[in-house]
Amino acid sequence: MSHDVRDRVIKVVAETLKIEPARIDDDSRFVEDLGAESMQSVELIAAFEEEFDIEMDEEEALDVKTIGKAVDFIVAHLG
Amino acid sequence: MPNPVTDRPYRPLAAAEIQTLTAQGCTAADWSRVQVADGFDPAAVRNAQFLGDVRIGANGGMVAGDGPIQKPCGIYQALVSNCTIGDRARIANVGQHIANYDIGDGACIENAGRIETRPGATFGNGVEVEVLNEAGGREVVLFDRLDSQFAHLVCLHRYRGELVDKLIAVAKAEAARAAAERGRIGAGARIANAASIVDVNIGDYAVIDGAAALARGTILSSRQAPAQIGSGVEAADFIIAEGSKVTGGAILAKSFVGQGCQIGKQFSSEGSLFFANCEAFHGEACSIFAGPYTVTHHKSTLLIAGLFSFYNAGSGTNQSNHLYKLGPVHEGKLERGCKTGSSSYMMWPCRVGPFSVVLGKHTRTFDTADFPFSYLEALPNGRCMMTPGFNFTTVGTVRDGAKWPTRDRRRGEVLRDRLTFDVFSPLTVGRMITGSARMKELFEKTDRAVDTVGLGGVDVKRILLRTGMKFYRSAIEMYMLDKVLARAERALEQPSASLAAALAPAADAVYDFDWIDVGGQMMPRRRLDDLCAAIAGGTVSDLDGINAELDAILRSYAEDEWIWVRETYPRVFERSLGELGMEDMPGIADEWLKARKKFLALVLNDAQKEFDNVIQTGFGQDGTAADAGVDFARVRGDFESNRFAKELKAEIASLADRVEKWKRAASARS
Repeated sequence: MSHDVRDRVIKVVAETLKIEPARIDDDSRFVEDLGAESMQSVELIAAFEEEFDIEMDEEEALDVKTIGKAVDFIVAHLG
Repeated sequence: MPNPVTDRPYRPLAAAEIQTLTAQGCTAADWSRVQVADGFDPAAVRNAQFLGDVRIGANGGMVAGDGPIQKPCGIYQALVSNCTIGDRARIANVGQHIANYDIGDGACIENAGRIETRPGATFGNGVEVEVLNEAGGREVVLFDRLDSQFAHLVCLHRYRGELVDKLIAVAKAEAARAAAERGRIGAGARIANAASIVDVNIGDYAVIDGAAALARGTILSSRQAPAQIGSGVEAADFIIAEGSKVTGGAILAKSFVGQGCQIGKQFSSEGSLFFANCEAFHGEACSIFAGPYTVTHHKSTLLIAGLFSFYNAGSGTNQSNHLYKLGPVHEGKLERGCKTGSSSYMMWPCRVGPFSVVLGKHTRTFDTADFPFSYLEALPNGRCMMTPGFNFTTVGTVRDGAKWPTRDRRRGEVLRDRLTFDVFSPLTVGRMITGSARMKELFEKTDRAVDTVGLGGVDVKRILLRTGMKFYRSAIEMYMLDKVLARAERALEQPSASLAAALAPAADAVYDFDWIDVGGQMMPRRRLDDLCAAIAGGTVSDLDGINAELDAILRSYAEDEWIWVRETYPRVFERSLGELGMEDMPGIADEWLKARKKFLALVLNDAQKEFDNVIQTGFGQDGTAADAGVDFARVRGDFESNRFAKELKAEIASLADRVEKWKRAASARS
C-alpha cells in the first residue's frame, strides 16, 4: 500500500507545488527542499485530504516535514 | 465656565509704571488701554509694543522654557495687540506680532513670527473634509469633540438621509460654538520657533516647537495629555486632539487627528480623519477614514479613499480611486485588523473582511466581508486568490489582539473614541458562520473535477473551501465554548448561584445576529438602528445625547455579546444552552480544551516557523554555514527562549489544569 500512497503523495505534491515529480524523493523536505510556503502547506493538507478521502488534523499534519513522513502519516491514517 | 485669565479684575497702569516701561523701551498706542493684575512688575516688561487692549497678569518669577532652563516671566521684544496674558507667562522675541489671544497662566512663547486671530475665526471647526470620496458626498464637518463613531455614521451611513442631516446639523452647531474673535493659548502651553500661527486655538500644556505654519486649527491638549507639534509642520484647516504628536515636517490639510496619534517623518495628509492611536510616517493619506490603530510607517505608501482600522500598511501599499472616467470616485473598505503586504495594490472598489492579509497587485473588484481571517493573494492576471480562514491561527493575529489594548496612548479624563478590541467577537464569529455556510453550499454543489471556484469576486481553490470551513469551525467553537465556560464559572464561584442564572441573558441585552463595527466600537445592528432612529426622529438631538447613548451601548457590550452567544449556540452545536445542566459542563470543558489547545498549538507552530532554517537564510555574513545558526541565535534568539513562544507554551500547559479544577468544582455542584 505504501508504494501506491507514495506515488500519489508525490503526484499531489508535484501538482500543488508545481514542480517536477523527479525532483521529489522520500527525504525531500517540504519547506527547505521543495519550497512550500505556509499557505502551500495548508493547500497540501487539503490536497491530501481530497486525494485520500481522509480528514487530517492540521496540528499533527504540520509536524510532518518530509515526503517519507507524509507517506507514513497517510498510511497510518488509512489504517 | 469662568476663565481665570479674562474674568478677573485688572487695573490701569500707574504713572510710575508707565514711566518705568517707557524707560525700558516699551511703547503703547494708548497706555490707558493697557491694564494689569495684582502682582504685575514693570521690571519684567522690556522693549514691548502694545496695541489696542492689553491686559497683563502677575509676571514675576520664572517659567519653564525649552528644555531644563527656567526663564524669567514677562514680555520682552514683542508686539502685543489685543491680548490678555495670564500669570507667570513669558513672551519673548515675537518678530511680527501676537494679536487677539487670551494667553493662559504659565504659557511660554518665544522666538515666534506671527501669532494672530483674525475676525471670524473658527479654528478648524466647521471645515468640511471630503472623506473616502475625494469628489465629495461623504463630507465630515470637523468639530472639537468629533469622535470615530460620529464620523463613521455621518460619513458612511449616507443611506440614512434623515440621520445624516441631523448629525450634520449637530456638527455645525458644535462648530459654530467654536467661532470667536480671540484665540486661546492654554495654561502651560509652550510655543517656540514657530514662524506663523494664524487662527489656531492652542490647548493647555501643548508644545509647539519649530512648526512652519499653522492656520485655521485647534490643538486640543491637557496637562495629562499634552499635544505636541514639531519642527517643519505645516497644517491648515485641522484639529489635533490631546496626546497626539504631529512632528517631523508633517503636512496636514483639511485633516483631523484624534487622541494619542503620532504623525510625522514628512507624512502628508489631505482630506483625512485619523482616530485613536493612529501612526502615520513617511507616506501619504488622501481622503481616508483612518479608524483607530491605523498604522502606516513607510515611504511610497499611499492610502487613498479607503476605510481602515486596526490596520497595518506594508511599504509601498497603494490603491487607486480613479479609473480616468468620471473622476476619483471609487472607494474601498478594509475592515478591522487587516494588513497589506509590501507593494500591495488594490483597485477600488473592494471590501476586505476583518483580519485579512492582502498580498500583491489586485486589479479586480471583490468583497470578502463574510470571509474574515483570510489571505488574499493577487494572481498574475490581477484576480484575487483567497485562502479562507488562514490568518486565524497566525502568530501575527494573536500578537495584534494582545498588543492593541496595551498600546492605547490616550490619557486624560475624556477618551472620545469608543473602542472594543476583541479579535473574536459576534462580528467576526458571525461572519465566519455566514462564510462557512456559503462555502459549504458551494463545496457541495461543485464537481470534484473543478479546481477553482468563484466567491464574492475572488477565486478559491475548491479543496480549500473545506479547509476554510475547518478553520472557521475551530474558531467558532473555541469562541463560543470559551464564553460559555467563562459564564458558567460565575456559577461555580458563587455557591448560591445556579447554572441557569449564570447562563441567563441580562434583561436589557439586545440580540441581533448581525453585528457591526462603528468606528472601532462593535455592537448589534439593532442597537445602532435604534440609535439612528432616535437621532433621526429627534428623540436624541444633541451631541451629549448621542454620546450618552453610544457610551451606554459600550457598557452593554459584554451582555450583548453573551446574548448573541446564547442565541447562536444552537445553530453551531444543535442544542440550546437552556437545556444544559451542570452535568454537561465537564464535556463542554473537554471540548473547549481540545479546541483551545489545538488553536494555540497551531499558533505556536506558526511562531516556530520564524526560527526555521529557511528564515536563517543570509545570516552568518562572511562566515561558515555553522555560523549562520550562531549569528541568528545572537540576533533573533531561539524559539525556546522567545517570550511570546514561552507565554503560549505556558498557556497550553495551564489549560488542562484549569479544566480539571473546573471539572472538580462542577462535579461537586452537580
